[in-house]
This record gives sequence, structure tokens and C-alpha cells, in this order.
Amino acid sequence: MRASLNWLKEYVDIDLTPVELADVLTMAGLEVESVIKIEEDLSHVVVGKVLSIKSHPNADKLSLCQVSIGDGTFPVVCGARNMKVGDKVPLALEGALLPNSMKIRKAGIRGEPSEGMMCSEEELGIGEDASGIMILEDDLVLGMDIVSALNLEDHVFDLNITPNRPDCLSIAGLAREVAAVTGKALKIPSIEVREEDGRVHDLTSVDVRDPELCPRYSARLISDVAIGPAPFWIRRRLESVGVRPICNVVDVTNYVLMAFGQPLHAFDFDLLSEKRIVVKRAKDGDTFATLDGLERTLQGDALMICDGEKPVAIGGIMGGLNSEVSVTTSNVLIESAYFDPSNIRKTSKKLGLQTEASYRFERGVDPEGVINALNITTRMIADLCDGKVAQGIIDQYPSPFLPKEIPLSIRRTNKILGTSLEKERVGRYLKAIELDNKNLDRDKLIVRVPPLRVDLNREIDLIEEVARLNGYDNIPTTTPLARVTSGRRSSAWVAEDKVKDVLISLGYYEVVNYSFISPKLITSLGVDVNHPFHKFIRIKNPLSEEQSIMRTTLIPGLLRTMKTNVYNKNSDLKLFEIGTVFFPNEEDKLPIEKRMLSALVTGLRYVEAWNFSGDEIDYYDIKGSLENLFRALDIRGCNFSCAGDIPYLHPGKSSTIMIGDTQIGFVGEVHSEVLENHDLSKTAHIFEIDFDLLVKHAFSEKKINLLSKYPPIYRDMALIVKEDVQSIDIYDAIIGCNNSLVKEILVFDVYEGEPIASGEKSLAYRIKYQSFKRTLTDQEVNKAHKKLVSKVLEDMGARIR
Amino acid sequence: MKEELEKLFGEALGNLKVAGEESQVTQVRTEFLGRKGKITALLRGLANVSPEQRPIVGRLANEIKLSLEEKIRESLASIQARKRKERLLHEKLDITLPGRRVPTGRKHPISEVCNEVIEIFLGLGFQISEGPEIESDYYNFEALNIPKDHPARDMHDTFYISDEILLRTHTSPVQIRLMEKQEPPIQIIAPGKVFRCDSDVSHTPMFHQVEGLMVGDNITFGDLKGILTIFLHEMFGAKTKVRFRPSFFPFTEPSAEVDIACVMCQGNGCRVCSSSGWMEILGAGMVDPEVFRIVGYNPNEVVGFAFGLGIERIAMLKYGISDIRLFFENDMRFLGQF
Repeated sequence: MRASLNWLKEYVDIDLTPVELADVLTMAGLEVESVIKIEEDLSHVVVGKVLSIKSHPNADKLSLCQVSIGDGTFPVVCGARNMKVGDKVPLALEGALLPNSMKIRKAGIRGEPSEGMMCSEEELGIGEDASGIMILEDDLVLGMDIVSALNLEDHVFDLNITPNRPDCLSIAGLAREVAAVTGKALKIPSIEVREEDGRVHDLTSVDVRDPELCPRYSARLISDVAIGPAPFWIRRRLESVGVRPICNVVDVTNYVLMAFGQPLHAFDFDLLSEKRIVVKRAKDGDTFATLDGLERTLQGDALMICDGEKPVAIGGIMGGLNSEVSVTTSNVLIESAYFDPSNIRKTSKKLGLQTEASYRFERGVDPEGVINALNITTRMIADLCDGKVAQGIIDQYPSPFLPKEIPLSIRRTNKILGTSLEKERVGRYLKAIELDNKNLDRDKLIVRVPPLRVDLNREIDLIEEVARLNGYDNIPTTTPLARVTSGRRSSAWVAEDKVKDVLISLGYYEVVNYSFISPKLITSLGVDVNHPFHKFIRIKNPLSEEQSIMRTTLIPGLLRTMKTNVYNKNSDLKLFEIGTVFFPNEEDKLPIEKRMLSALVTGLRYVEAWNFSGDEIDYYDIKGSLENLFRALDIRGCNFSCAGDIPYLHPGKSSTIMIGDTQIGFVGEVHSEVLENHDLSKTAHIFEIDFDLLVKHAFSEKKINLLSKYPPIYRDMALIVKEDVQSIDIYDAIIGCNNSLVKEILVFDVYEGEPIASGEKSLAYRIKYQSFKRTLTDQEVNKAHKKLVSKVLEDMGARIR
Repeated sequence: MKEELEKLFGEALGNLKVAGEESQVTQVRTEFLGRKGKITALLRGLANVSPEQRPIVGRLANEIKLSLEEKIRESLASIQARKRKERLLHEKLDITLPGRRVPTGRKHPISEVCNEVIEIFLGLGFQISEGPEIESDYYNFEALNIPKDHPARDMHDTFYISDEILLRTHTSPVQIRLMEKQEPPIQIIAPGKVFRCDSDVSHTPMFHQVEGLMVGDNITFGDLKGILTIFLHEMFGAKTKVRFRPSFFPFTEPSAEVDIACVMCQGNGCRVCSSSGWMEILGAGMVDPEVFRIVGYNPNEVVGFAFGLGIERIAMLKYGISDIRLFFENDMRFLGQF
């Protein structure tokens, strides 16, 4: 909400600087987000008075005026015709520089001297009216500088009023708070309405059919109003708080809304059929054209203000085109009401229509302030539009709101705040914000809360007020006495940290992608509609189609990250992410959430440099990372088996990752078609692992083996096998020999090509023999090795290279 | 014979002194101490020395032999040392060439800051608790005292999956889930992702929060101030000025916004803090009795405080980042700087 300092000063004395005031408001819970100084650079523009007007001898459209500024009179040649002799006008004298860059100097115009210029609002840059010279209020002092005469300098506060404080959504409401915290008196003017002929009850009636949704509806009638622009000061005030001026009647209702927080509406009384008001619910599907020119479809719980036959306004939200005040209006009915906050909010949400009125009604206006606001509005319209007010007020208010009486325990106040405030002090704080209170017993006060404070209903609400008025800064800062706890991270957190540390040490960067992605990204993986990745959850109101579904895999995010970086010329990447993926659950149940660990590598293993060769990363790099990871997490029994049918991976360069019989994920080269779908030309390798399954198998207990005191002996064997033989088969064959002396098996060479025949390859193994009981002799190792080799050759159909 | 021995000794020492190579030194050994060496030869004549003189000359001869051996060893050692030194001088590397550095990665700055926050609270006796990222309306709003038509819902631009299921807009639902299944005392933090439909320089539709909750029978607003002041001093330095000011959250009362003196201008006022000298850093308050009632606690007996802070916000202040969207673009030029 915006508030003008000049306006505020009308209701409370303020001797603080704007910055100090902003601080006071902020520390009272009314956060000032910014203070904007409004300045007008209008030196040499002063209040003048037109003494005479004669026609220009040499130009039909111009006139010659004498304008007095008190201690001097100036001849002015003028093109406008709206001013009369005796009018006070802004006069720009020699030396003035107007906002439209016009420089004023003495000149001759068609042979007549002109020593200044009378200005329009538009020329002064303070309004939109360019139709003629601005006519000033009659009581302004001649010669006074225009900026102070029109009070043009101001400060505007931009406040963030929390939803619990609708009472502060007005200038007077803010003034009440300022008065409370600065100790100054609040100056809300009392208003007298001059009533003339005709009794309102004879002229119209109000029938509230739904008092639950409209607990109070009051109205007055004003006749013979002259519609025109509102006076400059009203328009200026409205603009300072961000409201666009429309015409005098509407501007007054808006002025009172901003000043006192009570939304009002003016109907053209002659457009109300049967000259009466009926307040009732809409019929489902009714349509209604609101003031903003839109046709709106209503639902049955919307509360409508109707005349004898049709709706004329959506209660508390917006008036209708069919009863709008216009230049032809002469009689107006002013509505001042209190509507049920929750219903206003419902209707406003459904219509997608929030107005200054609905914003306040849905938070709660002061039901006891309705009549005062109506009277102020009536008086102002009567004064400014020459209207006549009918006698009496219509006020449908069947069950008045009563002040709430809430007991407040001082002991509890101090227990919650950690203070030692005395009862008298607490009582004083509450009185400062107009909460009367008296002693209930030794410990308690009974506090009387007016309906205007919709936020104060319970003891705790009052405790908050006490804290606020005492100042949070004055509450002692302490530390709690707490029990000792184990203070330990869960194993999932420990595992997550460990995984991150291992991957980081292997050169991987952690990334964080959005949890929502485009459905196109799932399609881009080449998976068919029955694949689990396609069973995604859709967001009802996404920001865009790009972020419209909850991710079922982290892979698309990593591919997108790869693309971003390749585009920025970073094509050697090692990335990982730990994040949640989402799958639908039975109806009415929350979705299934799984935490995944995924990684992507692409580009060179190391940047080629004097000390590194520039080799491309391959499958064995990412597999090696996984092996390192499992080792660090003490995961045993892990193996990689052929995947074959994962649509987004290269069929020959991918595998599933198994722990025992449980598949925990997959690893492999990204299918070239997927890369093409992402406009990526370089190959990439990825893995994705179910993180919770990983954690379940992590941190298996360790038993340490004894160390042998006897030396090992190594023997090599180089085999030639068919090219489709897998290393794991040979490994299994070696293990299958059941030789307890075999302690380690190392593949030290893999070779294909000359002189090995095509369709074959060579694999070379180094085997470590060692005993725990004695030193082995060459002869016995040779014998064992020979036996082992011949068994492997036989099993694998291989031959020695 | 004595004189001859000493003369030979002198001669040998002289030869050693001029020997620059190991071969020259070993030659001295052969020439004087070898089987055909001059001293050896002389000593063969010891039999001819008178019996009284024999032990004296013998002892002298022995001393000279030992001494000469010692000098030869020293000489060899010094020649070897000199030669090693000369060799090492030739083996000099260009130690300014870059090392064979195996590149390491980095944690995402969000993880980094989140861990830092967690560490501080673990040290204060808090434990970690977690909850689902897709929540029910009940846990995200209603149980937190935000009924369906409450204007406070405007404070949360919510992504919905259905009318009753949504992406959590804060980590506060974790409070409710925990209190429903655990009796006080409670002292937890709940880090995690949260979602709001908003996107600009200072908002992303997904961001990270850490929620805190401490419930017992004797916890005060003063304690809330104490715990959060300790946290902010740990996070931003012991000299950081902290202020608490009244605010509103439906699930706490009294509620507070907590500000620290602007880290950019040290409180003098700049664009980052809109000239106020302060920066909002977290929201907090005493748990509203209504929330205790909803989870089945006795609101007359139980008191506690809760707080929530945005990880991105802290990271932005800590690292001087002005565009929050950078965190989720994962550009290596950004991630590589942490």
C-alpha cells in the first residue's frame, strides 16, 4: 500500500524525518519497503490573480491580461479562454523552466509585451488537464511560490501490510499506529452532514436478503450533483497513492476509501429500476458487465447488489456498467457496507478480479466505521458537486458487531516472551492502541477489542501486541535450556555427503535442476508411452509448458545442463545431481517420491596439456567412477550386466547395475538418437541410480583379513578368445578353478587387431599366488598356474597367445 | 722407523689432499696400505726393531694406519658428496610448469550453504527431519492455520497437482508431520526444496528452505532471538547487527522478520537494501497455539518457536550474486567459481 506523508500529517502530528518515520513503522510491524520523495522543480512559478482581460488587437485567438502577484503586475498574452477576471492562476515568470522544457522570458507577441505565462496543469507537469489555465483555490496568497501553495512536495511510503492488519490499509489507520507508537494525538475530523428536503426512506429502500454475506448495508442519497473533475488537491492525493482520478463523485469515494479504509460505491440513482436496492446471491451462470467493461459469468455464491429487477454491482468487488456514474448523472446513491470476508475472497478468486475494495473486504473492514465513512463521503460530494443530501441514513445492520472482551494473563505473557513486564505497563501499551482494559484479577487484565481489529481474538493475539509495543529489540535475548540429544545425521544424510565427496574428488560437479520439466524431454529419451518415465504427474497451473510435469528421471535435466554448457564452449563435463523424482500413486494419496543419483560425463578425460593426453571419456571412466563410489560406500556384491533394451542408451555400451539380485540403476553411453533430439553432437555417458536402494546396501560391516607373512608370486597368461567373450567369463573361469592360492586377478592388457585374426581378441591376466602358511616355491606355483591355464583354455575355448 | 712412518703418513696425507677423483683416493690406499703398500712394506721390518721399542712403534703404526683409513673414507665421502651435488644441479626441473593435477569437482553452492546452515544447527543440538516435496493442502496450509479462504494464501503462489495436492510452498509442513508423531521436546531443522509460481531476477519457481522448530515447556521469544542471533553470527560473522521486527505468519504468533545489517553497505544504505541499511534474512515466531491444538498438543502447556530461511537468499548475500536464476542454470563458468 502507498501512503502520502502530507496526507498522513492531516491525521497525526509527525515531527520525524521521513526516514525516521519509515523506521518507526517498520519496527511496529508495518514494513516500509521504500520511501519515494516527490519533488516538482517549478521555481519562478507563483500564485497570480487576473486583474483584467482584453482582446489582443492583432490576433483574434489571443487576449491581453494583467496578472498581479501582489507586489507587482505583469502583462501576459494568453491563448486560453477559461479564466475570468479575479481568478487565481499559476503564473510562470521570467526565469521559469517548465517540465516540458519551455523557458519563460519577456517577449513581445504580435506587438504586445508579455512578461510571463499562465499555465495549465499539464504545462506544470502536475496533472493531465491541458484544456485551459489551471484555476487555483481562492484562498491562496498572491505571489506565493506554487510548490508550497499547492503542497506539491511530498514523500510516498510503499508499505507491505501483512494480511492480518486490514485496519492499516488506510491513511487514518496508519495514523492511528503512528499516534500509538510516537505518543501523539490522533486527529480524525468529525463530520456534520447538512441534510435538505426529502427523506431517504421515502425515496428508496434497501432489502438485504442475505445478511450472512452482507451483515451491514448503509446508504445515502444525494441529488442534483454536478459531475465534473474533482479539485486538484483530491486528484493530486489520489495520484500520490496510485489511484487514477475519474470524476468528482467517484474520486471522493476513492478518496474516502484511501483515507479511512472503507470501500464505497456511487450508483446513478436514476438508473436503478424501481429506485431501490436488493442484496442477494447471484444465480449460477448469470452474466454481468462490470465497470472495467468485461462480461463476467457468476456462480451462485457471489453476492450481488441489485435494483428492482437486475444486478447493478458485484457486492464488495466492482460496480456495473449499467448503473455507472457519468456526466449525465444528477442523483447518486452512495453505498457503504460490510461484506463477509471469506465470501468476497471466494468470489474475487473465482472471477480473477481483485480491486481495492475486494482487497480490503476480504481482509476485513471496520463494521463500525461504515456510517462515518458514508457521512464523510456524503458531505464531500455535497460540498464539491453542489449536491443536496436527503434526510436520514438507511442502515441495515440486524446484528451489530460488539467489542470482544479477551482476558490476558500477565504471567503467560511473560512466560512466552521471556520478559518480566508489570501489569500496569501492559495495560498502558494496550491503551495506546485504543484497547481499553481493566484488572480482572491479580494476574489478568480484561481487554476490550473494537471490531476494527479483526486480528485480535485470542490471548496470544494480545501477547503479540504487547511484544510489538514493547519493541522486539527490548525483549531480552536468551538461550534455551535444552536436553542433550544424540545430534547425529541420519545414514541417508551421511551417505549423501559421502557420495558427493567421492564424486567431487573424481572431478564431478554437482548441479541442481528444476524438479519440473517439459513432457517433450521425456519423449526425447525415445521411451514409449508405457515406460515408467511416461507415468508423470502434471502441474495444473505451470508457469509454462517447459515446466509443466514433475520429473520422473534426472537424465533430461543433465542433458539440458550439458547443452547449456556446450553452448557456452564448455564441452568437457562431469556432472551429477541428487534429487527427487515423482510418480503417481493411488487416488487421494500423495505421489511416490524417489531420490535418484544421476551423472553425466562427456568430452575429454583431461584437458590436453603438456602433462595430459587429450583422450575422450568412455564407458570405463563412468563405470570406474561407480566402482570407486561403491568402494567408498562399502557396497559389496555389485555387478554390471548387459542392459540391451534401455531405449535411451547405446545397446552395446550400456549395462544395468545390480547389487545381488536387486537392480539399482543403469549406466552407459547415451543413444545417438537422444543426443540428436537434444541437438548435441558429442557423445555422453550417463548413469542413474535409485539413491535409497544404494543407501540400503551401503556401509556393510567390515571384517579385516590377516596379512600374509610370505611373499607372493605372480604369473601371467595371455589368451586369444572369440571377440564376444566377456572378461567376466574368464574371471569366472579362473575363480572356478577353486585354487585357494589365487589372491588377485588383474587384466593387464586387452588387444584387438594385427596380428590377432579378426573376430578374435587377446586378453592378458596377471595372477597373484600367495599362501598364508609358507613361502611358495616356483615349482609348485608353475604347476598350479599350468593347471589353471589349461582349465581356462578348455572352459573358454581359448588358446595361448 | 718412527720417523719413516711419520714421513710416509705425511706423504699419504699430501697425496690425499690433491686427490680429486675416487680413483686417486683408492690409489693412495693401495700405495700406502695395500699388501705391497709403502707402510705395509715398512712394517715388515718391525721384527728388526728392539724388543723395548717394538710395542711403541707397533702402536704408532696402528694409529697411523687407522688415521689414514679414516682420512681416506672422509676424502671419498667428500668427493662423493661433491659429485652428487654436481649431478643434482644438472637435474633441475622447471618447477613453474603446472602440476599433473587431477581435476576435482565442486558441490553446488546451494548444497554448500545448506550444509553450513545444518552444521551450525547440529552444533546447537538440532536434528534433521524431512518431508515430501509434494504435499497435501492440509499439511501445507490448513494444519498451519491457513484455511482455504484466508488472505494469507496470497503470500504463497502455489503450484497445484489437484485441488488437494500441491507442491509444498515452504518446509513448514515438516513441523506438522513431526509433531503428529512425536511428543515434545522437539528440536529439529528441515532442509529441502520448495516451490512457488513466480519467476524473475529475485524469484525462481523452485528454491530451498531450512525450517527450524523447537518445542518444549519452557521456551520463550527471548530464546528464539538467542538461537537465531547465534546462527546469524556464525553465518555472517560475530559483528553482524541483527534486528527482529514484528510481522505476520498464520502459524506463528508473535511473528518476526529477522534482518541483518546490509552486507553490501554495512548498514549505510544502498540499492541492494533499498536504502534501509537492513536485509531481510529469515522469518520466525512462537508457534501459534492453534497449530499445537491441530497436532494434538495441549496449547496451554506446550510452547515453542519456529523459523524458516531461504538458502538461495543467504548464498546470494554470501557470494554477492544478484540474479537467483544463476543457481539453476548450472553454467560451469558459475559453478566453477565455488
